[in-house]
Amino acid sequence: MSATPADIAGERPAPEPRGAASARASEAAPAIELSGISKRFGREMVLRELRLEMAAGRVAVLKGSNGAGKTTLLRLLATRLRPTRGRARVFGYDLQRQGDEVRRRVALVSVLGGNYPVLTARENLKLAATLSGLAGYDLGAALAGVGLEPVADTLVRTFSSGMKKRLGLARLLLLDPPLWLMDEPYAALDEAGKNLLDDVLAAARSRGRTVLMASHELERSARFADAVLELAGGSLRRSES
Amino acid sequence: MSAAPRGPQAAGPPDGSAATDLAAVLAIARKDLLQEARSRAVTVATLFFSAVTLVMMAFAMGQDAELLRRSAPGVLWVALAFAGVITAAQSFQSDLEEGAFDQLLLYPVPRASVFLGKLLANWLYLAVLGLIMTPVTLVLYGAHAGSDLWLLPVTLVLGTFGFAVVATFYAALTANLQAREALLPVLMFPVVVPVLLGAVRSSEALVGLQNAALAGGWLQLLAGFDLVYFVTCTAIFHLVVEE
Amino acid sequence: MTQRHETPRRPLWLRVLGLSTVVLFAVGAYLALVVSPPDVNQGQLIRMMYAHVSVAWVSFVAVIVTALYGMAFLWRGRPIDDTRAVANAEIATFFAGLTLVSGMTYSRPTLNTWWTWDAKLTLTALMFALLVGYFVVRGLIDDPTRRGRVSAVIGIVVAVSLPFNYLAAAWFRTLHPTLSVAVTGVHIAPSMLFVLLFNVGVAALVYLTFVSERIRIGKLEHQRSEERERREEGAPGEVVRV
Repeated sequence: MSATPADIAGERPAPEPRGAASARASEAAPAIELSGISKRFGREMVLRELRLEMAAGRVAVLKGSNGAGKTTLLRLLATRLRPTRGRARVFGYDLQRQGDEVRRRVALVSVLGGNYPVLTARENLKLAATLSGLAGYDLGAALAGVGLEPVADTLVRTFSSGMKKRLGLARLLLLDPPLWLMDEPYAALDEAGKNLLDDVLAAARSRGRTVLMASHELERSARFADAVLELAGGSLRRSES
Repeated sequence: MSAAPRGPQAAGPPDGSAATDLAAVLAIARKDLLQEARSRAVTVATLFFSAVTLVMMAFAMGQDAELLRRSAPGVLWVALAFAGVITAAQSFQSDLEEGAFDQLLLYPVPRASVFLGKLLANWLYLAVLGLIMTPVTLVLYGAHAGSDLWLLPVTLVLGTFGFAVVATFYAALTANLQAREALLPVLMFPVVVPVLLGAVRSSEALVGLQNAALAGGWLQLLAGFDLVYFVTCTAIFHLVVEE
Repeated sequence: MTQRHETPRRPLWLRVLGLSTVVLFAVGAYLALVVSPPDVNQGQLIRMMYAHVSVAWVSFVAVIVTALYGMAFLWRGRPIDDTRAVANAEIATFFAGLTLVSGMTYSRPTLNTWWTWDAKLTLTALMFALLVGYFVVRGLIDDPTRRGRVSAVIGIVVAVSLPFNYLAAAWFRTLHPTLSVAVTGVHIAPSMLFVLLFNVGVAALVYLTFVSERIRIGKLEHQRSEERERREEGAPGEVVRV
């Protein structure tokens, strides 16, 4: 792997000077702050009064059985879902009122992949870069970083599920936001892919990224995780792994 | 390291600006059109459906040549209305696979930009379809374009835009609710009646069934409709795609 | 163990309202059917106008109120606003249906046709279709907040559609002038005007009664489900720190 994650990540234009208050907000604020977040789907209460404070730069693994609500929580933090009750902040920005600010600092690697089958890998990444407002970026390096250089200009429709996952990872590396939300990133990856992901996560940690990852691969992630959280019965607690 | 060293917040996310938003709109529209160029799913469906409509209606009314000629504008725009439904529905359907639509909403672009991008693609597509179908209809139905040829592009642009705005808006709604596709025309048609009427009346003037001055009034209604719904739908689109 | 709830009794003001509505309805009917003189041209059939016009006007008012409460729900997020919007939408739909039926009942004997493309009737028909869409969409959403927000969106579009659909229908008619007497275009004698306005007032009272009762029931339903939710939630956990 020739390109390091830092090389892959696109550059963002320098931020305009912000008001002192909000600058202080983002510097001092925890990466994730959940204050009594509840989410109900119809009659089912999937998340109940979650309270969490996750400091910036930490890596946490989220475990829980299928249907426990891990995906729901991640999508909520990505502002894709609105909570039924409660407030949440990402780097000090309110999820509901300052959704745009939150989305600038967050990326979600979802189970489905989020790729367009009728576009090539390169085109998918180009779209991601444009929609994220990146200034300078190297798509070739991003694809090389996840081993997809040979199929860069092939339609994603022809990809295996493992390759689609790698593409999702490439997107994450390209955007390289402060908070990474990952939903079962190891699933569908072959051994080489899993090792790649290990390296990516270790590098992310050393770069100070905050990572919340839903996963069943507890042994692998134990190496760089600061904590293991468990979601069960709609409640969140720290797990002694 | 080529990139500047980054702490969690030092990287500084990109600031939203109008230029970025416009780039996003164009990128989304480009993506939609590119997808269509490759898969041709919508092209096949709409061309086929429109052709069938035109031909079947012609058979149904073919006895009377005068009746046929007079009904050309009406049949044309009804076919375009249905084409609008197919186009808009498909533009969201293909995004739903593999969670691409979800991903689209995770970027720091305003929701309105997603709407505008899809609207642009749908509208361009419908306008081109209309451009193809108009002469075909005229020939098939024995109608001839009169002297007020300026009516053609104006009507096409305004009419297809009206259909595209409402269709795209409601298609997003039905897609987000995972409703049956049949719901889209049910929701949409009572809203676009003014577009249908305006476009048909104006097209009648084109083929000499109406005087151009009257058509002007209908075109104003069309323009007003387009403007009001464009603004309204763009403003409330974000409510339609949230969960 | 679930508690048995008794439905709280209707408050006094609502019962008084309901009673006066019934009484005034009877008065209005009497005025329309007996007291008011038959029309020079249309004879007894003109009496249909009282019912037709009054429900028509109220249905339009109700639709606009639906949209307004929808917007209030978007603004403040209070469930009661969504309940109010739905109550108004239900009455609007019902009254729009009555308008269509009375319109058709009127046109059949006078013009020998079930349907005229009268501008207001056409508008009402389109509005009715849109309101049906409103309820179909509502039925697809379980989550109350999301349902309220999406309903508000549809409500806004319905309200916005009214002027355009009316203009289109009106111009459509001028190009196809079929023989028709606009039901409200009839030159109204002062005595008839009084009866008309009285019946419009009665229709408004019916509207208020139904809407109030509907909102009351909606409030109770909401309270019930809130209690149930609170029971399910349980105590909040401790803060997890990472």
